[in-house]
Amino acid sequence: MDLLQGTLDMLVLRTLRAGSLHGYGIAKSIRSTSNEALDIEFGSLYPALKRLELKGWIASGWETSKHNRRAKYYKLTAAGRKQLVQEHSKWTGFVSAVGLIMGAAPEVKG
Amino acid sequence: MMLWNRLKYLWPARRRREERDMREELESLTAIAGAKELGNLTLAMEDVRTTWGWTWLESIFADIRYSLRAMRRQPAFVTVAVLSLALAIGANSAIFSFADAVLLRPLAVKDPAALFDVTSTTPDNPFEGMSFPDYRDLLEKNRSFSGLAADRLTTLAVAANPAAPARMCFANLVSDNFFSVAGVTTSAGRAFLPEEATSSAQPLAIVSDDFWQQNYAGDRSAIGRSLRVNGIVFTIIGVAPPSFTGLDRFIRPSLFVPLGMSQRLDGEMADPLEDRGRHDLVVKGRLSPGVSQKSARAELAIIGAALEREYVKTNRNRHMSVRTELQRRMQQTPQLLAIVKMLMGLVALILVIACSNVANLLLARARARSREIAIRLSIGAGRGRVVRQLMTESLILAIAGGLAGLFFAYGGIRLLNTMSVPSDPPFVLGVQLDWRVVEFSLLVALVSCLFFGLIPAWQTARTDFVSALKAGGEAAHGKVHMFGRDVLVTGQISLAMVVLIAAGMFLAGFRNMLVMPPEFRTDHLISMDTAPAVLHYSPNEIKAFYRRLVDRVRTIPGVAGVAMTEALPLSPAQTIITVVPEGYQFPKGREKEIEFGAAVDAGYFSTLNVEIQRGRAFTADDRTGSRRVVIVNQQFAKTYWPGQDPIGKRIRLDSPTGPAAEVVGVAKTGHYLAVNETPAPYVYVPYEQNPRSQITLVVQSVGDAVSLAKPLREAVRSIDGNVPVFNLRPVATLYESRVTDTWLQFFQMVGTMGFIGLALATTGLYGLVAYTVNRRVKEFGIRVAIGASRRDVVWFVERRGLILAVVGIAAGGVLMAVAAPLLAASFPGLGVSSPAVYALVPLALLMVSAVASYVPARRAAGLDPVRALRNE
Repeated sequence: MDLLQGTLDMLVLRTLRAGSLHGYGIAKSIRSTSNEALDIEFGSLYPALKRLELKGWIASGWETSKHNRRAKYYKLTAAGRKQLVQEHSKWTGFVSAVGLIMGAAPEVKG
Repeated sequence: MMLWNRLKYLWPARRRREERDMREELESLTAIAGAKELGNLTLAMEDVRTTWGWTWLESIFADIRYSLRAMRRQPAFVTVAVLSLALAIGANSAIFSFADAVLLRPLAVKDPAALFDVTSTTPDNPFEGMSFPDYRDLLEKNRSFSGLAADRLTTLAVAANPAAPARMCFANLVSDNFFSVAGVTTSAGRAFLPEEATSSAQPLAIVSDDFWQQNYAGDRSAIGRSLRVNGIVFTIIGVAPPSFTGLDRFIRPSLFVPLGMSQRLDGEMADPLEDRGRHDLVVKGRLSPGVSQKSARAELAIIGAALEREYVKTNRNRHMSVRTELQRRMQQTPQLLAIVKMLMGLVALILVIACSNVANLLLARARARSREIAIRLSIGAGRGRVVRQLMTESLILAIAGGLAGLFFAYGGIRLLNTMSVPSDPPFVLGVQLDWRVVEFSLLVALVSCLFFGLIPAWQTARTDFVSALKAGGEAAHGKVHMFGRDVLVTGQISLAMVVLIAAGMFLAGFRNMLVMPPEFRTDHLISMDTAPAVLHYSPNEIKAFYRRLVDRVRTIPGVAGVAMTEALPLSPAQTIITVVPEGYQFPKGREKEIEFGAAVDAGYFSTLNVEIQRGRAFTADDRTGSRRVVIVNQQFAKTYWPGQDPIGKRIRLDSPTGPAAEVVGVAKTGHYLAVNETPAPYVYVPYEQNPRSQITLVVQSVGDAVSLAKPLREAVRSIDGNVPVFNLRPVATLYESRVTDTWLQFFQMVGTMGFIGLALATTGLYGLVAYTVNRRVKEFGIRVAIGASRRDVVWFVERRGLILAVVGIAAGGVLMAVAAPLLAASFPGLGVSSPAVYALVPLALLMVSAVASYVPARRAAGLDPVRALRNE
């Protein structure tokens, strides 16, 4: 399934609310949480991460995983939390507006 | 936050750290997830780098690095290109600094563009000064100007302390608002207050920074100290900032004094500030916001007309004009403007020659590089990217040339600075290497870069890379290429010819000047200026002073004769006389003429050896009370009474109602302001009938003129030790510096330009011919192999160089037809159309071209045919 324009940032922020993750972990988490529906290529996720970091919404640091592997972990910052709240309300507004227009799925006569 | 984060990435070390961190992070993730799972990481990294936002800067640095690397491989190419540009840009910058000093540099005031020049004009004189009453009325009535300041330049005898001897200094008499209108604040002390401008006020002065440094070593305690100026004690209240040297281009006043002091300083009976007929003030005005020069002009026309109605006697036909500083300078000194235009034109030609050289080199190089560029294009570099890369190289060359050019400019400026006008106190020709010159050099470099860089870049980027790769570096459409290069070289030759002819004309003019007789004696003469008037002598006392001085000088051993004159010929300070010649039909609106002229004594003509061609010289009988007489020069008679006998004609002096004087003699026309001036009318009046307050004594010596300097000074001191003595120097020294020095420097300048132009054009021709030989090695090999002799080959190559030269010379001839009148305008009276120059320059060019093509021709002839053919 393709992503709607501009939703990737929101998904990353939402995923990191649960706790810090490394880059590949974020991709995996989005895939499993969406029941494999959203398979985001790491190649496009990674630049988005760096962009969010540059904006100050997430921060990163080197940590060692439970499997004793070093990786860079990303976590939400205070500014990121605020941004997530905003994006969330914008998203729900958008969904309900689109829902009003589309209504229930039309029956297929045949 | 965002901006700051992005700025942090501007720092290259920061970017390198991020890059390292990113690679490390991705490696660690690859270890966790495997390379396949992560996808195209190279692309991801490139995307990340873009988010740092400085990739464009990075790529520019990459271009620069690449260019420098490419240039390092071709030091000869870089040297020739940079040297060509440096010579041309240096010449341009030096001439610009000259033009800046004499014409262009804005006044050192706040917002100089808003400061306008307000002059009183009459049909007789479009640059007359303003009278103080007119200035006062203008100040009251106008709404266009937020501030109007008046000033007058003068020389004053200044003693820095009561014990010191007085020295002649330039001074500026100024209105009280002078400094505020100029927007200049004193660096120590304060400016004048309005109540300090009146004649009854306490005498106060502001000194220039130079004067402050010289006399008080820049000590602030100078404020409050006293000065003796023309015998009056002044108190120093302020020091002008070092940047402010007054409102004149060449005269830098040491002292600023309120205009209200005029009467007391000059020791006059009537207050000059109340004389509406005395037009000697320079007025500068700052326009109010929103007022244009045009509307100010319109308002001043109305005010001027009202004054004309009210004061018919003094203001008839008098108007007011509003000019920008540059307009005034260009209109007031058209001769200077012509010289500046000519010099700027010549150096511009040199720049074009140099740029053609570099363009030619770049074109040759681009052909050699066509394979490299074809490869870059074929592996996906955009054409825009390739053009940018090539332009970067050109830009680096241009900037290097511009910076190196500053060194040449510095040399030129030092030469220009040795130009001087002999005068006490000194005039200043402020030729200097300042930021304006540096900016100009870089601007010239950028403009030239567009010229020599764009054409080759565009040519190259058009390269058809398939055929370029196939041909192995020798792309197709070579014909078009070569034609373009031929045009560049012939253009160079034609421009070099113009520059050389200009230099030749200068040389011819200079020679004419050297052989031109001065029309007065210069040997065994020494001149001396004195100024008894500054000590408040009455007119009778001045006359008595000079009588005693002349008597005393006559008794000095070694003195053969003494003469008095108001102005020595060829001295920079010439005097004028207003004349109304009898029977002369004036042009409409005019009623008098202003001509060079001087009051001289009876001994003048014999001492200076000025030939009286008809009638007689002045005698001791031409004195107060006797019939008024004048002597005119030949040119005067020719101008005002063509074909008539001038002897016995009458001239009214000063105004149409002034005293009439009868012409008793005709003197030979000489040179008055410059040796190369067009013959000018001149009037002599007898000193006894027209006493003057300041006189130059000309003393003829039996032996060396210099040896009289000391006794002359003594003679003045024995009469009154307070009278300042200045401009004490042999007449020969004045003559040499006026005739030879300045013109010699001009000639050296133009001569150097001619040499540079010739050298650059020759390099261009040589480069092109040598290049052709290189490209056609194989062809020459075949020619020799099938039996062509060495002479055939030499002639074959030589012919090409000569054809280019002949075409260039022909084009130069056409250019000369356009340029000759412009050149002639910049040195009138020199008879510059010397046929020898026109004949010699093309011949010299042809010879130099023959030599330049002979060198590669010999090489072509010396080729070993077997080696040449194998060389594939």
